[in-house]
Amino acid sequence: MATYSSAPGKLISVIGDEDTCVGFLLGGIGEINKRHGPNFFVVNKDTTVHEIEDCFKRFSRRADIDIILITQNIADMIKHVLQLYKHTVPAVVEIPSKDRPFDAAKDTILIRATKMYTTEDLGL
Amino acid sequence: MSDLNKICNVLDKLTLDALTLIEEEVQMKLNIENAMCGGEMHLAKSRYILGQNSVSSLQLPTENSPHFEATVTVHSEKDELIGEKTRYLEVVKREDQIDPVRWFGYLVPQDLYHAQTMFRQALQWVIRATNLQMQLIETCGTIEQLKELKRKLSIH
Repeated sequence: MATYSSAPGKLISVIGDEDTCVGFLLGGIGEINKRHGPNFFVVNKDTTVHEIEDCFKRFSRRADIDIILITQNIADMIKHVLQLYKHTVPAVVEIPSKDRPFDAAKDTILIRATKMYTTEDLGL
Repeated sequence: MSDLNKICNVLDKLTLDALTLIEEEVQMKLNIENAMCGGEMHLAKSRYILGQNSVSSLQLPTENSPHFEATVTVHSEKDELIGEKTRYLEVVKREDQIDPVRWFGYLVPQDLYHAQTMFRQALQWVIRATNLQMQLIETCGTIEQLKELKRKLSIH
């Protein structure tokens, strides 16, 4: 997988609990630059919903971020923002956290996909 | 075959495609979960050896830290078969880059390296899940357009 590339790639950002952020930063996605600041945000018990919303909006406006990873329980807290988010870049990917296993019934994209058909469409 | 029948046939095919993509995406998310669980277990073991605060967000760089660049980045290319943008991961090697493991010290337990490997594996699953998600969004968009067209044809 390791190659030299002339064109700079885009970043993966992460909004999650401490373990999630530490883990993915160990994986090598972390970056801090003068212009944009960090591409990760650790959410703890003192973090407010407003701060998470602000962080998500900042990441979604950055041209150097291609994917926003957000744990599902934190995505639940800002569901009202995620439901209105229709862009494909950066892509928002909901991931499980250690506190809560993956729940397909609460994934924003999967909910949107499964609600495509109404009972009228199915002739019921 | 009338236009309406053709649209219905295409809708049927796209619906099946969407269901397949949903199933594959759920599987990718479960793979991410397994990789993350393994990584978090190794982080917990490292924490047990080094101390509670030695493997935590306290060791992560802050806005006041020296600037550094990511070693893993995302590139996109247009897939000729699918006709959509496909993402892939690239590991960038530079002479001045610091291994993130070094943030936690120089004599770190092997578990921390195992955690790094597991989370790198999780990143591979993340990229595949993202590509599937994009295909699913594209397919759902096409289904919505065809449903609208079908509704208009049904009225006439």
